[in-house]
Amino acid sequence: MRPPQGPPPKISLPGISHVVAVASGKGGVGKSTVAANLALALSRTGARVGLMDADIYGPSVPMMMGVGCPVDQTVTPFPLDRFGIKLMSIGFVVPPERAVIWRGPMVDRALRQFLTDVTWGSLDYLIVDLPPGTGDAQLTLAQHAPLTGAVIVTTPQDVSLIDARKGLEMFREVRVPVLGIVENMSFFVGEDGKRYEIFRHGGGKKLAEAASVAFLGDIPIDPRVAECGDQGEPIVHRYPDSVVAKAYVALADSVIQQLAAQKQEPELPEVQM
Amino acid sequence: MAASAPDTPFPKAMRREGDYLVIEWSDGLVGRLTWKQLRDACPCAGCKDEREKPANPFRILKAEEMVPLAPVNMPRIGRYAYKIVWSDGHDTGIFTLEHLRELCQR
Repeated sequence: MRPPQGPPPKISLPGISHVVAVASGKGGVGKSTVAANLALALSRTGARVGLMDADIYGPSVPMMMGVGCPVDQTVTPFPLDRFGIKLMSIGFVVPPERAVIWRGPMVDRALRQFLTDVTWGSLDYLIVDLPPGTGDAQLTLAQHAPLTGAVIVTTPQDVSLIDARKGLEMFREVRVPVLGIVENMSFFVGEDGKRYEIFRHGGGKKLAEAASVAFLGDIPIDPRVAECGDQGEPIVHRYPDSVVAKAYVALADSVIQQLAAQKQEPELPEVQM
Repeated sequence: MAASAPDTPFPKAMRREGDYLVIEWSDGLVGRLTWKQLRDACPCAGCKDEREKPANPFRILKAEEMVPLAPVNMPRIGRYAYKIVWSDGHDTGIFTLEHLRELCQR
């Protein structure tokens, strides 16, 4: 048996006011899109914002924010700056065609390095784009990082809502406040001005009510969202007057309100040995 | 309306008193758990598995098992749990607040 170890170093981020995780139980609900656009919408309020990609196996931030990879750190040190947002992603150091095949402890180490070795400076918000599920990345952040709260992203279908609930329960169990639920791909506004609820609508709100958390807003579908993501310029930046961009601005307001209303959770007492 | 922790009492103070871990809870309950009790209730996968197996009558004690077990450290894990680092090197058990509370109420 290995010798007794000391406690893992607790990550302290004194320059960052709020660390907000953007999570979902299910993949493919647009979590990275929400994280990137939420970061930009927060930045439009004048706040200093960072975006950390905690998806080690499938990083999306480089493409969504238009960063060519890999990045030469000697020329452009981390965090990168794009659209006024500070960025970090494993995708900046691993070429896009190479898979990261790591077990949990390596993921843990990478995330710790992102938080502690990257010079984030003073930030009002650090948005953390989590991978789907309730695994290593989520646990590392819940156990060692000073998470202020989590935003849960879902789409309206039951198959997504079931997993969103799991994500929500995970954060509750580890006592990270859930700031609320966002329903992404909520509806589509046609050229006729009518609203079409392609995947149904309202599931996110119902889940929020059932779980007694805030419903932070719904984000409509717009084909330009995907186009912007693929071209490396999120819709909030490219089309700031679009319905979707306005929905993100409203989402940012809701997040700010929830953070302000949040009851400060007490720190656990140290055990006097 | 940010949803936070499960609605369980919170530890106000925790200290080692010899063979005991004393926990003062926010609702006034003071729990006194022996370290042996805690080790026997270790929630890690290895210990759970060990508890579920039939006892091995031929088990040979290792050198580190010959000396009485003692806690070396008890770091906080996030906002929801503690880990106990034992003198024999065992440190994989994460005791959630709910688990500690349940042990205190037994």
